[in-house]
Amino acid sequence: MNKISFYFILFFSISLFADEDQTINLIVENCKSCHNLSIETTKKIPSINNLEKDEFVRIMKKYKNDRDNSVMNRISKVLTNRDILKMADKIYGNK
Amino acid sequence: MVINKLSRRKFLSNFVGNLAFFFLANTFLLKRLNAKTRPKIVIVGLGIGGATCLQYLNKISNLVDIIVVEKLNEYQTGALSNLVIGNILKREKICFKINKNKYEKVKFIYENVSAIDVKNKSVRFSKDLKMNYDFLILSPGISYKNDILEGYSVTDQKNVPHCWDGESNIIQFKKRLTDLENNSKIIISSPDYPYRCPPAPYERASLIANYLKKLNKKAKILILDSKNSFTKQENYFREWEINYSDVIEWIPRRKGGKVTFYDQKKNLVKNSDGQIFRGEFIHIIPEQKAANIFYDSGLLNEGKDWCQINPISFEVDNFKDIYAVGDSIDAWAMPKSAFSANSQAKVLAINLINKILEKEYVDPVFLNTCYSFSKEDRAFSISAWYRLNVKKDKIISLGSIESNVNANNSDRKLEAEHAFGWYETMVNDLFI
Repeated sequence: MNKISFYFILFFSISLFADEDQTINLIVENCKSCHNLSIETTKKIPSINNLEKDEFVRIMKKYKNDRDNSVMNRISKVLTNRDILKMADKIYGNK
Repeated sequence: MVINKLSRRKFLSNFVGNLAFFFLANTFLLKRLNAKTRPKIVIVGLGIGGATCLQYLNKISNLVDIIVVEKLNEYQTGALSNLVIGNILKREKICFKINKNKYEKVKFIYENVSAIDVKNKSVRFSKDLKMNYDFLILSPGISYKNDILEGYSVTDQKNVPHCWDGESNIIQFKKRLTDLENNSKIIISSPDYPYRCPPAPYERASLIANYLKKLNKKAKILILDSKNSFTKQENYFREWEINYSDVIEWIPRRKGGKVTFYDQKKNLVKNSDGQIFRGEFIHIIPEQKAANIFYDSGLLNEGKDWCQINPISFEVDNFKDIYAVGDSIDAWAMPKSAFSANSQAKVLAINLINKILEKEYVDPVFLNTCYSFSKEDRAFSISAWYRLNVKKDKIISLGSIESNVNANNSDRKLEAEHAFGWYETMVNDLFI
């Protein structure tokens, strides 16, 4: 990844998504494009529903902090830790 | 007896209460819907954008009437169509009929829409039939500019089919490709921006090279480009170097890549400098614009090729209650891709539901990931999040990032699996 893109994303990652629940809902709706939220999903991309809430948060943070340039690494970079927690609440409930 | 009397009184009291609540709830709901009857939503086009709108709006199908109008019984996706050309997938794998059992309350009409009567809020069909709407969603795909390239007609059946939409004859394209003799020269003319699926001309070149290699046929593929650069360029160059060295050559616009003349009978094209290129298989990818229905209905702003929309509601500029989504719209920084259409349509549908229920619009967030194959087990991608600018009048990118140019074999393979996985999830969700 070139440095300009990286810093650009870092800058926006602070302010990217408002705390509105509706915006978090939209982020999760976009996750569904690949992952779906049902158990019956493709073997090539796992359903998020197969994870526990804590596991989801851990994996998302790992993707965010990795530098392997995988699709998930690139996508999760713009999310804040707070975004990830709110996404987890949305997907698995506020437990 | 006393208990019975009390119970009867309680029952009557509850009954009257429930009746009053039922009456008030219905009055309230009708008021909220702001209409004398159930709002009627008409969706024109059942590609990725239209089908996504349908999927989301179906959640309120008890409150609204939904009618889908589509001219074709079967939808052939643009996504993965290059894999059919490259003999990696059968055509059947990218063709779908909507599973109507998922949409019990939705009415499907298989007709061609000739135009929109904006004043009377109705959709006109080819057979002089019309249908009124309260809200109209247009997701009809694209059309082609027929006056850019001298000697070329999009509708001429003798040309190599462009295969840039679901109506194109992909089987004929493949047959003509398969019938090529050894040492043939293939010319691909790549259009100028904006057009549907920006990396697809280069993916197509890669998969044609891959296919001919498997047939043990030597070929030269010359990409004459109307642009000076293209998306995922460095990744493509790397893949061509590894897999198709001396097979694929790219000529940018500044070096004479812009094709301006085509002679089908003589099998040649000319560039703007008059330089002649001859080939046994000349594949013109036409310049593109919004679908004809936008022109025929007067929905485009003067001199514009693409439909201008509000980026929050997707309402067409200056046309109340008409919404547009997918490849026909000018989505600012967002490319015209299946993933984009899917993401945009979610926002459109969610905010249309908000409008119908008199709730606040949600500030949109969009995602795009676009995969490209160089072989059946090698793919790479570009991803970006999008949101609105400060003025909230356009969609901006938060910075797109693509796969590492020097990704190893297992990374390329993993991305190929992800590409198939994304596609499978999406079509399962929308059509099956």
